[in-house]
Amino acid sequence: MAVETTPAVVELSIPCRPEFVSVARLAMLGVASRMQFTYDEVEDIRLAVGEACTTAVGRAMNANKTNAQITIRSEILENKLTIEVEDKVGRMPEVTAAAAPPESLNEENLGALLMELLVDEFTVEPTAEGGTRVRMVKYAG
Amino acid sequence: MNLKMNTRSIDDRASLIDLEGEIDVYTAPNLKQQIITLLDSGVRHILIDLTNVEYLDSTALGVLIGGLKRLRERDGSLDLICPNPRIKRVFEITGLDKIFDMYTTEEEALDKMRAKEGK
Repeated sequence: MAVETTPAVVELSIPCRPEFVSVARLAMLGVASRMQFTYDEVEDIRLAVGEACTTAVGRAMNANKTNAQITIRSEILENKLTIEVEDKVGRMPEVTAAAAPPESLNEENLGALLMELLVDEFTVEPTAEGGTRVRMVKYAG
Repeated sequence: MNLKMNTRSIDDRASLIDLEGEIDVYTAPNLKQQIITLLDSGVRHILIDLTNVEYLDSTALGVLIGGLKRLRERDGSLDLICPNPRIKRVFEITGLDKIFDMYTTEEEALDKMRAKEGK
């Protein structure tokens, strides 16, 4: 079978509020379940996307911007899932979670640590609109 | 899915919080409030049962760490019942399994809690 080179794209936009993060998780559970991921890998993806949305919600609440939207875009190839979580609610602060002792971790650096550990590639970059784009890649098989 | 929370008293200084559902940025504040309420009422040993927790994220971990610190400052404890390997894995990969006392059954956890209470 020929390897697919054009990704299927699933895009979702949710309000930047705590009660909608579970909607994004549920959608990603559906996307990841369609691919050749193991049960544990599907759970990893669900948690990683939840963390990316949660950091945006936290920044939105601090900046009183909960009317903003978070965009979750997934590109699906046969063995590769790329997820971009983008917001317009400020920049994610840099964290140095890996070097910190576990008991000194707070929610912010725990979230970043989890994302780093759960996916194969993890990058964070500021957007031109003053927000943050989290890009995560997970390979299947 | 929301978070269902059922708290029962073990004795005048110990309580068990039984959780069911998802602990995330939306529901974790309820757990935080419950821990604070118990602390304010004089409880010093809290056992949290995660057996029926289906999902848990960094917000939940943050609340549990905060509760553990508050209780240890008062010579208390916050222990976890966590038989679900998927939930336990979140603690393991973040290294938090080393700072929490985690048990598989309520019976085992209660035995250890009574020992901590000096009974």
